[in-house]
Amino acid sequence: MSLYYEDVNVGDELEPLPWTPTTDMAIDFFGRDNPTNPAFADAEAGKRMGVGGALVPGLLKVAWITRYVNQWAGPDALVSNLRIAYRRPDVADRELVLAGHVVDKRQEDGENIVELEVVTLADGQPSVRGNVQVKLPTKG
Amino acid sequence: MTEEDQSLITDEHRAMIGRRGQPKSVTVKEEDARRMRDVIGDTDPRWADGTGMAPPYVLAMLGGGRAPDMVRILPGGLLTQQEWKFTRAFRIGEELTGYSQTFDIRERLGGRYGHSVLVTTGTDYYDAEGNHVASAMMTITQFDPKRAERNE
Repeated sequence: MSLYYEDVNVGDELEPLPWTPTTDMAIDFFGRDNPTNPAFADAEAGKRMGVGGALVPGLLKVAWITRYVNQWAGPDALVSNLRIAYRRPDVADRELVLAGHVVDKRQEDGENIVELEVVTLADGQPSVRGNVQVKLPTKG
Repeated sequence: MTEEDQSLITDEHRAMIGRRGQPKSVTVKEEDARRMRDVIGDTDPRWADGTGMAPPYVLAMLGGGRAPDMVRILPGGLLTQQEWKFTRAFRIGEELTGYSQTFDIRERLGGRYGHSVLVTTGTDYYDAEGNHVASAMMTITQFDPKRAERNE
């Protein structure tokens, strides 16, 4: 279902979404035949990097955030910009919770722009923070 | 000045900042789009089978913003910042031309990773008509895992 610009208010919250990334997801995301960081599949390699286990790829997390926002905004929206800060590494097989809220809305150059702050929580602490810009349709 | 305080960035590294690499052709592949979509359970009808469209995060398979000749100063590396921009959705099978460059190289002393080097690179993707489709920028924090362990 489409979300319209008029229906969005600053302060609106996105429903939190739990997600547990696994090492299989990390490898399948890039394709099993494609070379990736060994720490994505191997907990020992992750530990050698100073991470507490197999590392969750940042690109997998940003893909997940993109999907999360697209799901909220609906099929007539365009996610036009994502700025992501990875504050600390996430370890595979540990639950993350995605959450977000609307921080701004404005009409600019004929576009209906909504800005969101999105966060990935690991044990309640932010591991990824993102600012996402979405262009929404209007009812008019 | 201790060994750890001495700059790891040379004039050769600095000369890479702002330099644009050779254009590189990339193709939006259906198998990548399908596989990535299925891994994260994305059921958005816009890029379902048969639509001819690919989800935005297929950008990760086009290079994700990493410059092919990214400077490597320290052996460990973690993605610490990322920016994606989209002008329109990707079409399955379309060929794009990517222009990459190094935007910044700087150092950081102390913190979890000890003496680290932050390298920011990016790639702009254009279609066959020369229209911008997407951009990806990333910052990789390079560090020496042995020194990082000492700082834990």
